Amino acid sequence: MSEPIIEIKGLSYAYSKSEAVHDLNLTVSPGRCYGLFGRNGAGKTTTMKCLLNLLRPKSGCINLFGLDPAKNEVEVKSRLAYVPDAVAFYPWMTVRETLDYLASFRAHWNKDVEQDLISRFRLVPDQKTGGLSKGQRTQVALLAAICPEPELLLLDEPTSGLDPIVRREFIETVIGAYQEGEPGKRTILVSTHLISEFEGLIDEFTIVDRGRNVLTLGSDEARGRYQKIRARFVQPPAVTQFAGAIRTKIDGREVEIIANGGGPEILEKLRGMSPESLTSEALTLEEVFVATLKST
Amino acid sequence: MLLQLNFKSGKPVYLQVVDQIKAAAASGTLQSGEPLPSIRPLAEELRVNRNTVAKAYAELESQGIIETLPGKGCFLKPNNSPLRKEVRRKLLTEEIDQAIIQAHHLQVPASEFLQLVRERLEALEERKRNAEEKQGNNV
Repeated sequence: MSEPIIEIKGLSYAYSKSEAVHDLNLTVSPGRCYGLFGRNGAGKTTTMKCLLNLLRPKSGCINLFGLDPAKNEVEVKSRLAYVPDAVAFYPWMTVRETLDYLASFRAHWNKDVEQDLISRFRLVPDQKTGGLSKGQRTQVALLAAICPEPELLLLDEPTSGLDPIVRREFIETVIGAYQEGEPGKRTILVSTHLISEFEGLIDEFTIVDRGRNVLTLGSDEARGRYQKIRARFVQPPAVTQFAGAIRTKIDGREVEIIANGGGPEILEKLRGMSPESLTSEALTLEEVFVATLKST
Repeated sequence: MLLQLNFKSGKPVYLQVVDQIKAAAASGTLQSGEPLPSIRPLAEELRVNRNTVAKAYAELESQGIIETLPGKGCFLKPNNSPLRKEVRRKLLTEEIDQAIIQAHHLQVPASEFLQLVRERLEALEERKRNAEEKQGNNV
């Protein structure tokens, strides 16, 4: 295994007395697209800010590219880019001036990608950023994050509050323009609660709740393991407990079970009870998220 | 080409891409020598990780379904499997066994199962004929 791009061990952070992150662990390998899922206030943004050295952890350690972001701030920041959920620019600058200003901090800036994305997003270079919509501000921020071709892209709730067209374009741009480079040098950490739109992009994820790790899994593995099983019987079933079910809902003759790994055994058992109908499907990542947080 | 991904199937996403391209090749929707979409636009269109599509193409290449011509892209290969006949039979046997087990649990008797296999083979032939006609009309 190659050295992880992000390594968080036992991270804790508190705002005055309220603890936002508690003993959090997370490891992201090069080339992965990693999802950090959690409800509002789960500690996602605090974690991102600790990665960026904007907040000092109370305890635990963080390594980015094998370096301590507090001690090697310039090097670490030169190798990553960050798109926050609320983007602010100097409102008196035009789009062109803003991009030139942001490019001035970077050793490398891909002009072709810049041109391509300006026209793709239909941005007007002479427009003042003060007059941009929320969607356009996010587009400028994404553009500025991709042009330096960083090894790591940190996206914090990047699509919340955007319209569906802009969201779509955002994700297509991350796939197309950002992932186009050398695969081992294109790592993404995205925090979101809008899980379904990132479903295809994410290959591994961690669910956090109240600042703690709840579940870490590969996406394909999660969809293979979590199943929703539905059965309907002629009579209300006599059996109401199923080993391996994380949730069982019985409504008259109908049974709905959420299984975590025990799906095949539960299906076998239900088949033995001669159901009228029996179906099973995988849970999407969003459904895994809901099922996990409801059962804790 | 029309690919439909289903995150509720429980099948790994890259395998869905592999299986659908194989199905398109078997039914003639995709003809040998025809180019496959490049990785980037396909990933953007499906809105899946670029690595997922790259992994699917690598798998298709290792199975001898497609070939990569440097600088030109990926193409569907003429249908001649690089595997020896017994290996091909063995791979297919495993798939058939799975279907037989499934049929047992669904209480589908042998005669009905065989009838279903015949119907599915005919359906594939039908799709192949339609694809060929369309191809003919285009020329």
